[in-house]
Amino acid sequence: MSKTTQAPKALRGVGNFIDDRFHVAKMGEKNLRKVFPNHWSFMLGEIALYSFIILLVTGVFLTLWFKPSMMEVVYDGPYERLNGVVMSEAYASTLHIDFAVRGGFLVRQIHHWAALIFVAALVVHMLRVFFTGAFRKPREINWLIGVSIFVLAMLEGLFGYSLPDDLPSGMGVRILQGVMLALPLVGTYISMFLFGGEFPGEDIITRLYMLHVLAIPALLLGLIVAHFMILWHQKHTQYPGPGRTDKTVVGTPMFPGFAVKAGGFFFFTFAVIAGLSAFVQVNPIHLFGPFTPTSITSGLQPDWYMGFMEGSLRIFPNTLDFQIFGYAVPIGVLVPGLIVPGIIFGGLGAWPFIEQWITGDKRAHNVADRPRNAPVRTGVGVAGITFYGVLWLAGSNDILSETFSINLYLTTYIFRVLAIVGPILAFIITKRICLGLQRRDRETLEHGYESGIIRQLPSGEFIEVHKRNSHETIEVLASKPTITSTALTEEQVDDKGVENPEGRKPKGRLRRALAEWYTKDNVSVEGVRPHSGHHLHHSDEALKEHTSSH
Amino acid sequence: MKWITARRRHPLAGYVVVILALALFGVGYAGLAPTADQAQAQTLAADAPSPEDVDVAEGKTVFDQTCATCHGLDGSGSKVGPDLRDVGPAAIDFQVSTGRMPSMNPDAQMPRKPMVMTEQELVNLIAYYNESIRSGTNGADVPYDVPGGAPGYDDFKPLRSDFAEGEAGSEEYEAALEEAEAEYRTALEEYQDEYDEYIAGADNTDMGMRLYLTNCAHCHGWSGGGGALTDGRWAPEIHESTPREIYEAMVSGPGAMPMFSDGVIDPEEKQELISYVKTLQAEPNAGGIFDLDRVGQVAEGLIGWVVGLALIVACAIWITAKQRAHD
Amino acid sequence: MTENNIDNTGDDTPKRVVGTPAAEEPVVSVEAEQARDDHNGPYPASETHFNSEEVQRRGEKVASAWFIIAFLGGIGFLVSYFLFTPGQIADPQYGQYSNMLLGGTLTLAMFGIGAGMTVWARKVMPHYEVSSPYDELPSNDEEKGSFSAFFMQGADESGFTKRPLMRRTLILAMVPLGLAPIVLLRDTGPLPGDKLKNTPWEDGRRMYVEGTHRYVRAEDLENDPYGMISALPAVDDDHYPHGISLNDAAKSVILLIKMPEEDWQPSMNDEIEVDGETGTRLNWTHNGIIAYSKICTHVGCPAALYERTTHRILCPCHQSTFDASDAAKVVFGPAHRPLPQLPIGVDDEGYLIAKGDFTEPPGPTFWDYAKD
Repeated sequence: MSKTTQAPKALRGVGNFIDDRFHVAKMGEKNLRKVFPNHWSFMLGEIALYSFIILLVTGVFLTLWFKPSMMEVVYDGPYERLNGVVMSEAYASTLHIDFAVRGGFLVRQIHHWAALIFVAALVVHMLRVFFTGAFRKPREINWLIGVSIFVLAMLEGLFGYSLPDDLPSGMGVRILQGVMLALPLVGTYISMFLFGGEFPGEDIITRLYMLHVLAIPALLLGLIVAHFMILWHQKHTQYPGPGRTDKTVVGTPMFPGFAVKAGGFFFFTFAVIAGLSAFVQVNPIHLFGPFTPTSITSGLQPDWYMGFMEGSLRIFPNTLDFQIFGYAVPIGVLVPGLIVPGIIFGGLGAWPFIEQWITGDKRAHNVADRPRNAPVRTGVGVAGITFYGVLWLAGSNDILSETFSINLYLTTYIFRVLAIVGPILAFIITKRICLGLQRRDRETLEHGYESGIIRQLPSGEFIEVHKRNSHETIEVLASKPTITSTALTEEQVDDKGVENPEGRKPKGRLRRALAEWYTKDNVSVEGVRPHSGHHLHHSDEALKEHTSSH
Repeated sequence: MKWITARRRHPLAGYVVVILALALFGVGYAGLAPTADQAQAQTLAADAPSPEDVDVAEGKTVFDQTCATCHGLDGSGSKVGPDLRDVGPAAIDFQVSTGRMPSMNPDAQMPRKPMVMTEQELVNLIAYYNESIRSGTNGADVPYDVPGGAPGYDDFKPLRSDFAEGEAGSEEYEAALEEAEAEYRTALEEYQDEYDEYIAGADNTDMGMRLYLTNCAHCHGWSGGGGALTDGRWAPEIHESTPREIYEAMVSGPGAMPMFSDGVIDPEEKQELISYVKTLQAEPNAGGIFDLDRVGQVAEGLIGWVVGLALIVACAIWITAKQRAHD
Repeated sequence: MTENNIDNTGDDTPKRVVGTPAAEEPVVSVEAEQARDDHNGPYPASETHFNSEEVQRRGEKVASAWFIIAFLGGIGFLVSYFLFTPGQIADPQYGQYSNMLLGGTLTLAMFGIGAGMTVWARKVMPHYEVSSPYDELPSNDEEKGSFSAFFMQGADESGFTKRPLMRRTLILAMVPLGLAPIVLLRDTGPLPGDKLKNTPWEDGRRMYVEGTHRYVRAEDLENDPYGMISALPAVDDDHYPHGISLNDAAKSVILLIKMPEEDWQPSMNDEIEVDGETGTRLNWTHNGIIAYSKICTHVGCPAALYERTTHRILCPCHQSTFDASDAAKVVFGPAHRPLPQLPIGVDDEGYLIAKGDFTEPPGPTFWDYAKD
């Protein structure tokens, strides 16, 4: 094995040049030694990061030809089928990218697939962070940044989807405008200002273009950099295991191991997106036809990440709409269009603080929770996924109705019920499963693991042989934290016999009730000694003793 | 079995099983899902049949045997079948040639099926309908100048039983077979020419597109993929529909579909519309061989998750998989 | 799996618990052991797990093979680019070939590099399991105290806290500047006024079928006892290729629906008032033909999915359903108000004409739609 201790001359030259100006040697080494724990679920955020880079690069390419103009032109271009059709310049220039620029079609498809995967990766990354409790102190701010990135990414996607000015894309803008108009008092004004007049006007694509290629990407880039810098500064969380504590992180160092892995992962992400773009047609705007406000297609859908909005608009009933002094308040648009996303994203952003308020836990956490060990949080998370998922499915109820031959109205009724019952059931079931898993963990800790080997004892009894857990497994199982809340441990009556005033206020009582709910179900492993179970004779060694004694 | 036993406790075994299961479902579904090229309606594009080619008496037999049970002997309808006297021959031709009639279950919406009758039986049936059931000239006529389905080989194929048995008969049969094949090829070419001419005869894409998008796409979809209606009904997909069938559907309004008579959209305008949708459907997918049935955003989202994201995560699992000797 | 029950007590690897690393197996090869003795790597020997030289050699070969595949993919990409001319890819079939060739080779190139790097990291590079402390996050009291004292001294010295006049006037100076960007946005669009309430429809205006641009006569629908057609007002402004601006089309598009007399619901005879004139909804139909706004009152999609058997008009976006035989009242879905009706009649030449504007403002419901 060859050892290189002295850097090559050229590299040293560059290094010295930089160090002379920035004094980076010490800081550089510290950062290259940064440790990253190894687990596939820790790479989900990277998918989002890499998709974003791909989006930036392909986006720049597309702007070279795209004309964000709503001027109506009669098409006369290379794509023969649509010759003579009246369309906007935006649509015509997109056709140009598709059919007159080599690789243009590919890059447009890469851009679209990367967008779909970008948001999907954000979601799974966020779920990983949620379920492992990685948002807890000291990472709450990074969680908030993450939620902002998610919201901005959705808007970015929606606006980008609208730019080519094809039939479904224009309808997305129309729905956005319809929701805007529903706002009491200011709705018509906001719509007029945004569209430069009535719908569709002649400005909206130019304006969305600015938001899509400049304002929102700049914000996203800033937030992503901040997100990453905070992660870098605080270091990554890790799963429990030997040597892994809130004080010490164990993993692969940045240089050389992690850098090569992460670099390779970028190419994998790009490869999958390029592969999809090569063979799976996405958003074929040349087939949809140009937007006109008077036409529509069946099966009209937004891209998947707006599907939950579509679903919430579809299933919300109109019975709550009212008029006040002759002015309309269309609750059936306002609630699903604004309140529901507000609850979803507001709830996401607020959760770390709600949880902290309930538990009173002010410690810093660097070891991630196993989802089963925080059953209420996991239950709430699954309930949230269920709610989102029901809305999402409801957004495609016409496709479901047609594909599975179900009555269209019936699907709406089913989704209305599911949107309420689903999350509740999901919470209860998930929590039960978590507690079940906790019990199994405790049993494994006490008795070792089931080996799958069935033995017959001389007495004729059949037993399954339990084996000793590995050192690691014991470490993981025994590290289970007990969830407590300061609201329950605080003295209700102080030493002078005065009742704690906090506990009497409604807020204090609510907190106590929530703390009760949050902590009451727990399978404690405290005091459990590994492999101390009462039927230890089922374990391998005991069996040997048993048999040898005969 | 040994091989599996040795590996089933591998850290990646679970993922492999999941991936295999997904692949199995995917392939299974692709195999079971209905494919695009189902039965072709076997109508020859032609002029209206001349009177000597039709047998009205034969048509009456067909009507009495297959239609009268529901629609009544005089076509005036019953509880289970509507009155046929005003619907016009275009409606009859549409319903029978797309296999929707005769229907086994009058309560349910009928999907497209292979035609039950022969071409000749249908011609006879329409002749009988025109003569004895239709009230006056109500309803639309069959648009014979619009191309119907491609000719089917079965209509040309001679029957072996028509020839003598033995060596000589076989030879004769072979010769007839060859002749029939040639005839069939000629007919097919003729049909193709006529079809192309009809499609190419449209020259105003803007008109065709706008007519289609403002009056048809909201039910049948931007590419004719169909869509959901209320009460469990659906607007059928129109990929296999021939130009003549589309035309007939427009003038007769089958099922819940409203009518678009020649007064509102005249024959040339209908030609633009039909040409638009047929050209769109025939166009190869410039974005790659998989078009996800042109379902659009829902299918794209699904693929983005279950293929795109899943493959990338699989790569992540490979990168971070435990190196057994070390961890 | 019966053989499992018999024996192999020794070497079963323990069942892995999800989220935890597999059990340690101290199978470090002899060569690696030697390498460890004179270890001179960046991280301590105890944290560095080597691959045997044999594994490394094989890894190098596999990684290089991947890189060569990637190289060939990259070359293929460049070749694919020049394989077609821009003129050729205008044909969708060639476009598809070009797209798949370019994309396929790009995929190969990217995947090759990714796979090669992964093999490199896993087979050639040692596996590092390094531990390092998390930083202690809160500063200690001394640091905090020092900072706070320094900051307050500086703030006091600057006079910002002690001289309120200056402080307040500075804040005052900021206020108008803060408002300026908002004021500057005023010209992004006109005020709503009554723009959303008026459309180009007026008494005597004819209508044409969108697409054909042919005026519709009542007798055109003679052969459609259950007809439907999408139509626009006959506006002919040279400014626009279709004679009508998209803004006007968006709010004035109508569905003409024809149905037999006996299908009308009783409510069609109710008296209502529009533009100062009273009449029944049936008064504003002609010969069984009725005109409704095509724009859904929910959020503005074209509600066009008309079933002639049930007379339902369904909006494909959110499934609001209106009953065409009953004044387009909402029978299902999230929309709240009926589709506005357009009073129609015929002129001397038999053409269908509007007899005024819609009964209500068309399009999505907004705050003051019901106010004049």
